[in-house]
Amino acid sequence: MNIAVQAASAPADAEPMSGAPPGSVVLDKVSVVFGELVAVKEFSLRVKPGEFVSIVGPSGCGKTTLLNFMAGLLPDGVGRGTMLVNGKAPVTGSHDIAYMLARDALAPWRTALGNAELGTEIRGVPAEARRKRALDLLDKVGLKGFENHYPKALSQGMRQRVALARTFSLDAPILLMDEPFGALDAQTKLQLEDVLLSLWQREKRTVVFITHDLSEAVSMSDRVIVMSARPGRIIADVPIDLGRPRSVRALQKDHAYHELYSQVWTKLEEGLSQ
Amino acid sequence: MNQPKPWSTWQIWAARIAFLAVFFYLWELAANTKFIDPILIGRPTGIVKFMWEEVFVTHSLLEDFYYSMGGTVMAFTFGSVAGILVGMLFVTSPTTDAIFSPILTALNAMPRIALAPLFIIWFGLGLGSKVAVGFSLTFFIVLTSTVAGGRGVNPDHVTLARTLGASESQIFRKFVLPSAVPVIFNGLRLGLVFSLLGVIGAEIIAAEHGLGQNLSVLAASFKTNGVFALIFLLALIGVGISWGMTALENRLLRWR
Repeated sequence: MNIAVQAASAPADAEPMSGAPPGSVVLDKVSVVFGELVAVKEFSLRVKPGEFVSIVGPSGCGKTTLLNFMAGLLPDGVGRGTMLVNGKAPVTGSHDIAYMLARDALAPWRTALGNAELGTEIRGVPAEARRKRALDLLDKVGLKGFENHYPKALSQGMRQRVALARTFSLDAPILLMDEPFGALDAQTKLQLEDVLLSLWQREKRTVVFITHDLSEAVSMSDRVIVMSARPGRIIADVPIDLGRPRSVRALQKDHAYHELYSQVWTKLEEGLSQ
Repeated sequence: MNQPKPWSTWQIWAARIAFLAVFFYLWELAANTKFIDPILIGRPTGIVKFMWEEVFVTHSLLEDFYYSMGGTVMAFTFGSVAGILVGMLFVTSPTTDAIFSPILTALNAMPRIALAPLFIIWFGLGLGSKVAVGFSLTFFIVLTSTVAGGRGVNPDHVTLARTLGASESQIFRKFVLPSAVPVIFNGLRLGLVFSLLGVIGAEIIAAEHGLGQNLSVLAASFKTNGVFALIFLLALIGVGISWGMTALENRLLRWR
């Protein structure tokens, strides 16, 4: 779980890009075009190593498309401009990234432990090491004692905790998250946000977090990027200097947080009315 | 409105047994009083007597039973293995599916029992022709459910697998196959019943041994008690198969 080691072992043929340090995500004038439809237009963004960046915007603004581009999930030829993930062009299945979906995508035929191990298993981590890591993470997400439960016996919040364990088990410097808590109720969401922050604060990996929930973005991130409606472009880039470590639940009563929230909200409104 | 209190298990069993007792008593009565000719309906006591003699005295029913079950097990094993393999080939290769699927659909639409005379010419009066008929039924049922199961993979699983860098074979082994198992299992359950159907049907047409052959001989000589005995035996086998498959399913698919 050492990011420096990861970078050093990166293939030598990966272009040594100045200004694209390991663990960073660099987008320069990125556009995504599906036939006639321009989903994203000339989007530029630099995510520093270890930075937690949220991208918020109305539905259909192309934020998920951007994330899929980073994950190498887009079909060939639809993405334009420069995109560097960990200093390299995005590739499907790159070991530099761990991807988390809105739905938990747990395999119902695997236990919580089996699901937490699924990612590392596919990426070829030896059985003993991956089991140890999965058990540790299940403990950290608060599922000690539920290791041998099948997903059907877990609540939605618990299932998403397993998905968090599966994601963090991966030895990837960059985490891409597509509205991972979008389907949860408000209380569970706050709990899971704190679980995510506690996991992230241990290792400080780079996170690109997609959401349409502004309060979620402000409470967790180092920076919030606000996108316009389609074709998506940046209408605000707001640093969130709320200090670390934080607790999302404690922030709910915090003045500075509400102040920042209304600032970003104003920008969002301005951008949308233009 | 007051919901009536549901009956307990033993009450339900008692009612069920009472119903059957009355049913068989009336049957016996109808036959004894010649209200209905016993040639047509036999007699419950006669059926039990036939069973007893054939199973415990002459053992001839047991031999037929083993022939029929052997044929069913073989037809089921070959049919389901072939069905699963071809089904998986269709799932992994859409081109193969596109070429052969209509041909197989046409074959499947054919009433398979009509092939029995042909199979008897090819494979003789013994087990071979019975297995062939059972196979021809089971294969298509298992094939169809395998294809349906293989197509039913959750798109989220495929997305996740791709971001993890899973190879095609990993996606197949870790996602497509396990998610297809419950659907395949439904096909297997049905396939086993149809194996039995194919074997018994072919035996009725022409055979040297087997429950079906015995059944047709008994019917041809108006031994109605024997015919009923075999029908009850076949029904019991069907129930046993169903029960066994459910038990196996509950064991293998605990995660559902």
